[in-house]
Amino acid sequence: MKNKCLMAVVLLLVGFSGVAAEEEALAGDTLVTDPMLLFPAPVTNLEGRDSDNDHGHSVDLSWELSPDDGAGQRSVMKYDIFRWIPTLMDSADVIRSAIGVALTAREVDEVPGADWNDTLRFLRDVLDTLIVQFPAAHAAYPNDGEWRRVGMVPSGEGCFEHSGPKDRLSSDFLPDYCDFRFRVDAVTSDESIRTSSDVAGPIQCYGQWFNSGRKPVLVGVLVFGFLTILMVSRARKGADLYVRPISGIEAVDDAIGRATEMGRPILYVLGLGTAADVATIASFTILGRVAKRVAEYQTDLIVPTYDPIVMSVAQEVVKSSYLDAGRPEGYNEDTVHFVTQSQFAYVAAVNGIMLRQRPATNIYMGMFHAESLLLAETGVEAGSIQIAGTDQIAQLPFFIVACDYTLIGEELYAASAYLGREPVLLGSLKAQDYAKAAVVMLALLGLAASNFALPWFVNLFHVID
Amino acid sequence: MKRQLPFVLVFIFGVFMVFQYFAPHEKSERIYEFFLDWIYIIGTFALALGIWSLFRVSVDKIKNHKEAWRYSYVTLAGLYLMIAFGFTQRVGEPWGWYFVWLLLSLVCLGSVMQARAATSTGQKKKYAAAALVALALAVVVALLDDAWAFYFYTAEGLENSMFRVFFDYILIPILATMFSLLAFFIASAAYRSFRARNVLASLLLVAALLVMMRFNPWIPGAEQVARASNWLMNVPNLAAQRAIVVGVGLGMVATALKVVLGIERGYMGKG
Amino acid sequence: MNRSTYIVVGVVVVLFLLSWILKAVSLSGEDHRYILHGFLITMSAFLTLAIFSFLYRDNPFYKFAEHLFVGVSAAFWMTQGFWSTIVGNLIPRLSAGFSEFFMVPHQPSPWNIAYWIPVILGILLLMRLSAKYGWLSRWPLALIVGTTAGLNFVRYLRSDFIVQVSSTFVPLLGREPHQWQGGGAFISHLDLSATGQLAALLTNWIIFLGVFCGIVYFFFSKEHTGVFGRASRVGIWVLMITFGASFGYTVMGRISLLVGRVTFLFRDWLELIS
Repeated sequence: MKNKCLMAVVLLLVGFSGVAAEEEALAGDTLVTDPMLLFPAPVTNLEGRDSDNDHGHSVDLSWELSPDDGAGQRSVMKYDIFRWIPTLMDSADVIRSAIGVALTAREVDEVPGADWNDTLRFLRDVLDTLIVQFPAAHAAYPNDGEWRRVGMVPSGEGCFEHSGPKDRLSSDFLPDYCDFRFRVDAVTSDESIRTSSDVAGPIQCYGQWFNSGRKPVLVGVLVFGFLTILMVSRARKGADLYVRPISGIEAVDDAIGRATEMGRPILYVLGLGTAADVATIASFTILGRVAKRVAEYQTDLIVPTYDPIVMSVAQEVVKSSYLDAGRPEGYNEDTVHFVTQSQFAYVAAVNGIMLRQRPATNIYMGMFHAESLLLAETGVEAGSIQIAGTDQIAQLPFFIVACDYTLIGEELYAASAYLGREPVLLGSLKAQDYAKAAVVMLALLGLAASNFALPWFVNLFHVID
Repeated sequence: MKRQLPFVLVFIFGVFMVFQYFAPHEKSERIYEFFLDWIYIIGTFALALGIWSLFRVSVDKIKNHKEAWRYSYVTLAGLYLMIAFGFTQRVGEPWGWYFVWLLLSLVCLGSVMQARAATSTGQKKKYAAAALVALALAVVVALLDDAWAFYFYTAEGLENSMFRVFFDYILIPILATMFSLLAFFIASAAYRSFRARNVLASLLLVAALLVMMRFNPWIPGAEQVARASNWLMNVPNLAAQRAIVVGVGLGMVATALKVVLGIERGYMGKG
Repeated sequence: MNRSTYIVVGVVVVLFLLSWILKAVSLSGEDHRYILHGFLITMSAFLTLAIFSFLYRDNPFYKFAEHLFVGVSAAFWMTQGFWSTIVGNLIPRLSAGFSEFFMVPHQPSPWNIAYWIPVILGILLLMRLSAKYGWLSRWPLALIVGTTAGLNFVRYLRSDFIVQVSSTFVPLLGREPHQWQGGGAFISHLDLSATGQLAALLTNWIIFLGVFCGIVYFFFSKEHTGVFGRASRVGIWVLMITFGASFGYTVMGRISLLVGRVTFLFRDWLELIS
């Protein structure tokens, strides 16, 4: 009897304490009813593919937004992108860190006598060995790896580009031809409350051999190339090619004659471009023509150059011109000489030549910068006839105000055809004119298209990098 | 072979660069980066050719007593000193006999120039002897003086304080002054060209004046001038720039294509 | 040199020495290397004045400064090129032995063998100095010219042709926020203000016509007569407006360069302004 009463008292005590605990719990947290209602809906249709028109190492992901994106209590604030990364890549990161430490130590030579080059070579070999194993490690999913966050986008965005550099030594290196797997977590304001999507993959990234976004340029290359070859072949067959007169080019012969009569030299300035610049290449051709006439008239020619490679090419050109004119003995090696590769030092020297040697004619053909005005004004002071040609729009005004004749922009490139009158070069000039006509026609068509809502035509000229 | 192979090479490299523009693949990019690196490296080798040309022209001027030949000594001295500063470095606290060595080596070089330029045998011998003595003394100083040395380090070679002094107190002031001459020349060019001789010069004059007065608050009608100037920059200026760019662009493209296809060959010379 | 030249040079030398002494004295309180810095600042000021003297006429001081500038700058770029490109960029890739000799960090890579090619081509370029083997120097020139021609061909075709063509696709009948809604709506809501529809319309038409006439000017295949000639005439007028605008735009910038040098002379050298 006594035991039964004791048991009843214990049961009652336990019962009351349970009720009291439940009431306490309810009093402290009245909002929580069912935890599953707080987790947002996941994103759907997660897809991934290799990024287009690149050198590889890049994957594009896209998904449909979570229904809870920016809505209600389960509002999705952001999306975390996860990638499954095999543990082998951690080993590669350790090796990369070791390489970094070794490079730094080699710089400061912390341990005198240590052969850091051997260490670095060893570490790079180990890294290369690990990188070779990356495809197999990725294929071992879901073993020997873990999910890691690789990016984040705010709510409202349904795409993400996961890319990395092509440098193997970078910790962000993304290897090609490996089976990547991704998932996207819809995350609320509480980081711990998130829902993962289905896993997308395997997805591989790799470089493309053709950038389809540059198709308009390819069409331009083919059309222009075809046009040039066509006009050149027509010219070779003896077609009559009219070109209108350009006063600046016609003045070159007169200017050379003037210099011969006055017994003064001709100064030819190739500009401050390198042999890589197209304007300088055009100037070489003009120099060749001028040098040939100079050789025929037995006038002196001075060609100070800014770039040593330009000097080498110009020497070849002038020497050949003297050969063509039948006066190889007239060629002086110092006709074309290097001055300096400093812009204003070059100008100071050329100004000095102008004031001391008093050339009768100054010809400026090529790429010029701020020094154009210095050259042209000094030439005016020296009393020289000046003919200039450049494609630098900013310098044209100065040549126009200071020189007697100026070839504006494209006229510089046309000058070589004008001076030589070679059918092949005239044919190429015709091709340029046809291209300009095409520009005008395409512009008119494009105007009509953009004004009458035909975007497909406008998009034909849209180049995507 | 001598003549044709360069044009074949131009074609191969040119076509590759066109191909590379459309092929973003890593392998294509790597070759592209190689080519660009190679151009820089070859260009640096070409500098030696340039320096040799400058040296030869200066020596020729001295030898033949051409116009302003004495100043060629200044050019050669500047050339030599800057190269010396670029390849030597102080290792001790004071400079020691460094400047004496520089002076002796300059005297040696000057004597060699004079010996080449001398007309009589006696003079040649005199200058040659002076050059030898200066050279011997310079070698002795270089061997015995520990305060400086010839160095082949990367940064230290350019860290020579004399290199910086020449850069900061000779190169920069002269460069900046040459640049500032433009202010005077632009005024003289404007004065000469703004005597409007024809319609074209008048148009140029009016447009230039409008733009120059753009930010001037003191002229009457400053606001209208500023507006007209802005319109000028944004409308007809834009149109003409586009027309020139189209023309220049087509010219460049045509020239580049002619070079690649071997139609334009003038730049390679003959023989 | 005649007597007056000697006198002028003598006066300049005396002024130089005087300036040096005065400058050194003024720097002595704050700079322990006042003699050296006094000399350097005075030298910079005199070189500046020597270049300015060119505005009067060619003279020995300008000649001295010019020749010094040429020599020093040529060697500067050569030295800079050697250390930064050859030693900094090329040597570390050529071999470990070279890297050790020049005391630069070796950069091993399986591709490094390719860097021997520009070395060989550079040496071939130097063959220019030989009369017999000078023709070999054309090969590196071919690499440089061919590579850059190919590069320029596609890039300028895109930037100066395709992009320019697509930029002329401007709305001639209306643009945001003034969409074309028919002639009736245009007349009834006619707005002559600078931000109105009429101004926008006129602007686009002027741009289009300006581009068209400018391109016509550069036609070489047809004589500029008749309608074509008139369009070409309009084209050159538009070009002249551009050149005038460019000229005016540059004037202010050029004058500011002069202000910099004058400030150096009057502040750093003569200490007439603070």
